[in-house]
Amino acid sequence: MVVDKPAVDVSGLYVSYGSTPVLIDVSLHVAAGEGVCVTGENGIGKSTLLRCVSSLQRADRGRIRVFGTSPGSTPEFWRQVATTVEPPTWYPGLTVREHAELVCRAHGQDPEEAGVDGALEGFGLAGHADAIPPSLSSGQKQRLTLAITLLRPSSLLILDEPEQRLDPEARSSVAAMLSQYVANGGTLLMASHDDVFALASGARILTMQTLAASETAAS
Amino acid sequence: MTTIQPTDFRTLRRWVRRTQAEHRERGATAGNVYFAILFVAVVGGMVHRQLAVIFWPASPNASVLAGAALILAGVGGLFLALRRLGPLGLSRPAASWFLTAPVSRRKLLIPSLRLAAAGAAVAGALYSIAVVGHAADRPLPGSSGVLLPVVGALLGVVLLLAALAAQSRGAWGSRADNVAGLLLAAGLAGFVIDSAVAAPRATASWPAAAVAIVAAALALLVVPLLALAVTRLAGTPNDRILEAAKTAGTLMDSAFGVEPSFVIEMVERRYWANRRLRSRRLWGRLPVLTAQDLLLVLRRPRRLLWIAGAAALPALFEHAPAWVVALVVLLGGMIAGGVSTGNIRTDAGNPVMLRLLGLDSRTAITQRLWVPTLLSGLWYAAALSLLDALGDLPAGPWWALGLTLAPVGAVAAIRKARAGFVRNELLPLDTPMGSISPGPLLNSVIGPDLLLLGLPAMVEIAQGHPLSWMTVLVQAVVSVTGAQAYVSGSTAHDRVELTANR
Repeated sequence: MVVDKPAVDVSGLYVSYGSTPVLIDVSLHVAAGEGVCVTGENGIGKSTLLRCVSSLQRADRGRIRVFGTSPGSTPEFWRQVATTVEPPTWYPGLTVREHAELVCRAHGQDPEEAGVDGALEGFGLAGHADAIPPSLSSGQKQRLTLAITLLRPSSLLILDEPEQRLDPEARSSVAAMLSQYVANGGTLLMASHDDVFALASGARILTMQTLAASETAAS
Repeated sequence: MTTIQPTDFRTLRRWVRRTQAEHRERGATAGNVYFAILFVAVVGGMVHRQLAVIFWPASPNASVLAGAALILAGVGGLFLALRRLGPLGLSRPAASWFLTAPVSRRKLLIPSLRLAAAGAAVAGALYSIAVVGHAADRPLPGSSGVLLPVVGALLGVVLLLAALAAQSRGAWGSRADNVAGLLLAAGLAGFVIDSAVAAPRATASWPAAAVAIVAAALALLVVPLLALAVTRLAGTPNDRILEAAKTAGTLMDSAFGVEPSFVIEMVERRYWANRRLRSRRLWGRLPVLTAQDLLLVLRRPRRLLWIAGAAALPALFEHAPAWVVALVVLLGGMIAGGVSTGNIRTDAGNPVMLRLLGLDSRTAITQRLWVPTLLSGLWYAAALSLLDALGDLPAGPWWALGLTLAPVGAVAAIRKARAGFVRNELLPLDTPMGSISPGPLLNSVIGPDLLLLGLPAMVEIAQGHPLSWMTVLVQAVVSVTGAQAYVSGSTAHDRVELTANR
């Protein structure tokens, strides 16, 4: 894990969709081992910011560094960064448990030692271990994505509204896991509408307005 | 409670049609009809000779065995096609708006039944003309010539009614599909046996009286069954109709967008949605993605059986030019290798899972190359050995040549799986026959183009000389070098995505 450089360092970020500016001169600093939750109304650019930090969207202008380097599509980047900014397309003919096992094995983990069964149990998916992910409800798919993202080793978690489609019990359970992730030295950057969930996840809350040097177009 | 009176569906449909017509340009319908007729006339004029060869060759050229095989394959194939299409369906808008509306279910579904019956009858009639044209002794007695297509049409309607019953009462539907699959397989096996043995030709005309009796019996069967089907039409479960509507919609999307991947994805999704799986541990000694591919293949045993059986199909081309046989063999190995490339298709379409796995594209493709190589190699070896055993190839170690072709079929299948969507944004090409969109054409050659790596084998088969070990060695070197060049040229250790180069 890289700890001597900030996990995320964004400055002077500009993004627009056509003629509509979404991010205007946005800056964000997340230290390694810190949890940060970005909040703000719909359409203010939270997801766009996370997508830019994940290298899934190109900014019009600005500087983004993740652990001191530009985010990119290299395997080194994706071994450090785990994100749920984009929903996964599931593999055909592979069960819920096998998806989790596949990800663990790809990272050189033993599925039993990594706690695949415990994670599925913790996310309320133990009864669906033999199901194929497309047959799950949207909330269950969200839990599976989070379970897999948390199972694999990573230094930075980028989560876009992880509390979405989760029932209250699952919310507190996921918040506890994220808090544990940060306590273990991981860095968490997420967007959320739920301040209680964010605080329970061990994250510092920042509003989008505070990140923009000037006002965003949406505000 | 408010009682809702059923709306007269015919009035509703008339209103919809009238409203739609008001939004069309004047003369648009007439223009569409004109262009459709012109298209049929132009294409018919261009291919009428080829159609004559398919449906009514100058003289019968198939044995009694081949004729029987044609009938079996036709019955099985038509039933399976009807089952895949519904057969009773609605358009997607009709399924959305009318299925839940207070309209007569029977009146809603009758046009669909009428269309399906007409389609099945036409397919049956055309197919029976082809069977008679290829296998029946000539001249045909006067009435048989007219009645045999009628028998075919009635048989088509019987198959439709059976598919309809399977659609509304699903319990025996899968068993009926199995039987139809067996009939199709038996028909294909019959063709292969016919190509290996000198089966006798039909020597006597089919007796007109017997044909008339069969036609009358089928008509007596069809009329009451059709009436029964109409009375029970309203009982067709909604989920089956919705599924058929989605199928029809996807087929239309695929046809208008010239995008076959929509259909492939739908078929795959439905297959897995109906399977009950048990999680198992991935084989720890294999590379993780190889283990995943192997699991995917082993979970589709029936598809493996079909692929194994298809190794006999190149034998059907014994009378075709040798280069055609070579091409069929090379394509067959690519299709066999493609059985395990569903995971590559997923990764090429959306690399989210690859990012979660954190593997670079070269490692991913290298690991995913093993299972297609195994499947292609076994298929090539089986197909060439069978051709050799049937005496369609000169002497030589053809099984060894088949094994050396393994990387060729595998990389072609992988490249095809990575091809992605058809590029419809490309500028159309102007030809004497009109504008042609190059996107579908380009997409269809991505993958098969790598079969050029099998050129040494193709030349060897086309020349018809005895096969030497030197040729086997040359093919092995070309295959391995070509596959390595493909992997290193289309992947990188510093990139996760598969789509930058295919």
